[in-house]
Amino acid sequence: MQGRIGAETFWCSLVLAGVAFFVLYPIVLIVVNSFQVAKPGMPPLYGLDGWRAVLAEPGLRRAVYNTFSLLVVRQLLSFPLAVFIAWLLARTDLPGKSFLEFMFWLSFFLPSLSVTLGWILILDPDYGIANQIWKFLTGAGHGPFNIYSFWGIVWAHIGHNTTAVKVMLLTPAFRNMDASLEEASEVAGSSPLGTLVRILVPIMTPVFLVVLVLAIINGLQAFEIEMILGAPIGFHVYSTKVYQLVQQEPPSFGPATALSTLVLFILLPLIVVQRKLIARRQYTTITGRYHAKAIPLGRWKVPAVAFVSLVALLITVAPMAFVLMGTFMSLFGFFNIPHAWTAENWKRVFDDPIFLLSLKNTLLMSLGAAAFSVSLFSIIAYISVRTKFVWRSALDFISWFPSAMPGILMGIGLLWLFLDVTFFRALYGTIWLLIIATVISSITLGTQLIKSNLLQLGMELEEASHAAGASWLTTFRRIVAPLLYPMLLLVGVLGFIHAARDISNVALLATSSSRTLALLQLDFMVSGRYESAAVVATIVMLLTTGIALIARFLGLRVGIRA
Amino acid sequence: MSMGFLRIQNLTKRFGEVTAVDRVDLEIRAGEFFTLLGPSGCGKTTTLRMVGGLEKPDDGEIHMAERCLVSPAKGVFVKPERRDMGMVFQSYALWPHMTVFENVAYPLKLRRVRRAEMRERTRAALELVGLGGFEERPATALSGGQQQRVALARALVFSPGVLLLDEPLSNLDARLREEMRRELKALQRRVKVTVLFVTHDQMEALSMSDRVGIMNRGRLEQVGAPEDVYYQPATAFARDFLGKVFALAGKIVETNGEECRVELKDLAAPPMCVRAHRIGESPWATGKEVMVAIRPEQISLAKSAGDCKGNVLPVTLQASQFLGDRYEYTVAVGAESRVLTAPASQPLKPGQQIYLELDPAAITLWPTAQ
Repeated sequence: MQGRIGAETFWCSLVLAGVAFFVLYPIVLIVVNSFQVAKPGMPPLYGLDGWRAVLAEPGLRRAVYNTFSLLVVRQLLSFPLAVFIAWLLARTDLPGKSFLEFMFWLSFFLPSLSVTLGWILILDPDYGIANQIWKFLTGAGHGPFNIYSFWGIVWAHIGHNTTAVKVMLLTPAFRNMDASLEEASEVAGSSPLGTLVRILVPIMTPVFLVVLVLAIINGLQAFEIEMILGAPIGFHVYSTKVYQLVQQEPPSFGPATALSTLVLFILLPLIVVQRKLIARRQYTTITGRYHAKAIPLGRWKVPAVAFVSLVALLITVAPMAFVLMGTFMSLFGFFNIPHAWTAENWKRVFDDPIFLLSLKNTLLMSLGAAAFSVSLFSIIAYISVRTKFVWRSALDFISWFPSAMPGILMGIGLLWLFLDVTFFRALYGTIWLLIIATVISSITLGTQLIKSNLLQLGMELEEASHAAGASWLTTFRRIVAPLLYPMLLLVGVLGFIHAARDISNVALLATSSSRTLALLQLDFMVSGRYESAAVVATIVMLLTTGIALIARFLGLRVGIRA
Repeated sequence: MSMGFLRIQNLTKRFGEVTAVDRVDLEIRAGEFFTLLGPSGCGKTTTLRMVGGLEKPDDGEIHMAERCLVSPAKGVFVKPERRDMGMVFQSYALWPHMTVFENVAYPLKLRRVRRAEMRERTRAALELVGLGGFEERPATALSGGQQQRVALARALVFSPGVLLLDEPLSNLDARLREEMRRELKALQRRVKVTVLFVTHDQMEALSMSDRVGIMNRGRLEQVGAPEDVYYQPATAFARDFLGKVFALAGKIVETNGEECRVELKDLAAPPMCVRAHRIGESPWATGKEVMVAIRPEQISLAKSAGDCKGNVLPVTLQASQFLGDRYEYTVAVGAESRVLTAPASQPLKPGQQIYLELDPAAITLWPTAQ
C-alpha cells in the first residue's frame, strides 16, 4: 500500500511540475527579460532600459492608455445592452427567444478575425458597402463610416464577442433566479421595468461582477481586431505594440517584455478575484428551481423582438454574409468593373500550396489540441477534486493563470522558453509548439468544466465501484469516463475551436512551415488581399461553427437522455 | 470462540485537529448483525469506511477471518476492491449510465464470472430483493425504495464476507423505512451474511441488531445486546441517546453491596430501593449525591399506594391527553412537571393524587453531575 501512496504522489507531482513549468516559466522569463538590455544573441546584460522606454516613450504610454480607454468604452456600451437582451431572452414572452439565444451562442463561436473582415467590407471608408449606399443615396463624396478608427474598433468588438459572451452567460443566470422575488415586486405594485431596475439588477449584482471581471480580462487579451483596424492608422494597444516590437528587425525585446510585465501586474489581482468569485458561485448556482411564467411584453413585444433580432443579425448574419460575398468579387466593393463577380478567388486559394499546408496544419493542430485538452484537463480536474495530493490546491491555482494571460504574452514567453532551452528547440517551427500554446491557454475553462461535473458526480459512485471489486483504472474507464463523456466531448470541441481560430497565442510562435489558416487569413488581411482573406475566413468559420453545431446536436441528445 | 470474524483493534483516524475515530476496539462475530449507533459526526461512518477500505486509519488494525486488512504500523493496506465486502451507500450510488441488470452484474463481471452464471446470479440477487423483472430498467428510473433494493442486490450478488450498510434507510420516507427495516433483517437471516450497519436512528439499531455499539465523539461507549444497552446504559450519553429518561436527584442513605436506598431530594416519599449492577463499586457509598434514572415506560401508574409492589412515588396528575393507542399524562413531581405515557387501563382525572411504581431492578444510578 505504501507503493500506492507513493505512486499517486509521484504521478500527481509530475503533472503539477509539468503544468507549473509551462504556465509559470514563461511568465518568469518575461519578467526577467524585461531587465535584459543586451542585443539578441549577445551575453545577457541587465539594466532598466526596457522599463525606461515604457515609461518615457510616448508611443508605449499611449498604447497603455488606448488599451484602457477602449476597455472602458466597450464595457459601458455593451454591459447594459447585454443585460437588457439577456433579461428579454430569459424572462419575457419574447417571440422566437430560443432561436435568438442560439444566434448569440453562434456568434460566440465565430472567429473574431472573420467577423472583423465582414465589418471591414461593410464599413471601409472608401469601398465599404454602407458608405457606398450612403454616397449613392445622398450624392455625397464621402461616407460617414470609418472602421479604421477608435469607434470602428469599439464597434467591431461590440458586434462580436463583447456582447455575445455576456448574453450567453447572463441569460441562464436570469433564468435560474428565483421568480417569486420578481412576483413579489409586481404584487407590490411595480411595473416590469421597475422590477428589472429595483429587484433584478440588485439581486443579480454578484453575477454581473463575475461577468464584468471576465470581460475585463477578455478585453486585455484582445489582439487581432486592434491589429487589423488600429495598426494601419498608427493606433496601438499594448498587445499590438508588443507584437510590433518583437516582429521588427532587430526585435526590441526589452521594451516588449517590460510592457508585458506591466500588464501582468495589472492582471495578477484579477486572477485572484476571478477565482474567488467563480469558485464561490459554483455552489450557489442551483437555486430557485421554480420558474415563473414569462413576463408579458404587451405592446412592447414588436419593438423588443425587432431590436433583439437586429442585434442578433448584426453580430452573425451580417458579417458572415459579407465575407461570403467577398469571396465572389474580383475586387471587393467594385460592382461596376467588368467581371465584378468571379469564382477565381476560391480556385486561386485552393491551388495555393501555402493554403493547403495551412489547412493541414490547422486540422492537425486542432485535433491534437482537442485530444490533448481532454486528457490533460481531466487529469488536472481529477487530481484537484478527487485525490488527497498535498499540492492539489496549488495545481488548481496555477490552472487559473492562463485565463488571464493575454495570448501575445503567452506567445512571447513560450517563444523564449523554446528558443532558450536546448531540449525544446527541436519543437520550434512544428505544430507541437502551437498545440502546447493553445492547450495551455484554454486550461482554465476546460479544467473548471470537468471539475464542476466531477463534483456533481458524487464520490460514492466511485466508491461503490471499488467496493464491488474494481481497481482505480477500471473504475475510471467504466464509471467515471462514461459519466463525464458529454462534458469531455464539450471540452474537446472547445479545444478544437479555440485552436482552429486562435491568433494571439500562436502569432509569435508559428513559422512559415507551421502557419495555420487563421494566421494565413491575418497575413492576407494585413497585405490588403481581402478577397483571398474572405475565402480563408469562410473556411475557418465553417470549421468552427460547424463543429460547434455538431457538438450542440450531440449535447442536446445527451441532455435529453440524462 | 472469543475471536471475532471481523476484529477492529485500537482503530484511530484523525482529520487535521479532529480525532474522528478514537482507539476503537470491536469484535464482530460471523453471521452477526452489528450496528454502530450514534449522532452525526460521532465517527461511525468513518469507522465503516475504514472497514471497507475507503479511508485509511492513522493507527490500529482491522482483521477479517485472520487476514490483516489494514495496519499502518505494519504497512499493510488491502485496497477496497480486494476486501470482499459488499457496501450499500446512503445515496445508493447506482450508476446512472447502466441498467438495473448492469449495475448488479458489475461485481460479477469484474470477477470474470462466466456469462450464463452471471445472468443467473444477477437474476437470483434481484429476486432476493423482490425486483425480479426489473433488469432492463435504467437504474435511475426507479423509486427510492427500489433503488435501495438494487443497491442491496449489487452488494450481495458476489456473496461477500461482510455487508456494510451506511445509513441505507435514511433517504426513505417513514412508512417505507419501517417496511425495509423488517425486510432487511429477514434478508440477513436468510443469507446469513455478517452485517456492519451504521445509523443514527436508535429504533433501527435496537430492532434489527444482534448487538449494538454506541459511539460518541469518536469513542465506542458501550457494546451489547439491544435490551442491555437500552435498559442498562453504561454512560450518560448512551442513556440519553437511546430513549427518554425519568430521573430524580437524591442521596444514598444506606448500602449493602447489592442494593442501596436513595433518599429523594425535596420529595415526601420513602427512600427508594435500587438494585443496579454497579452498587458494589466504590463511588456508590453512603452519603453520596446521586441521580436515579429509569425509562418512563417501565413506570406503572396506580390509583392507590397499596396496589404498588416496588418503590412508590406519590404525584399529582395535572393533565392527560388521549393519543389513540395510549394516554399521555403530565404529573407534578414535587415542584416539577414530568410527562409519562401509559396504556389507558383506568380513567384518571386531573388534580387526582396517583402513585408511580418504580421497579428496583429497572433503576440505574448516576453521579449527580450528569
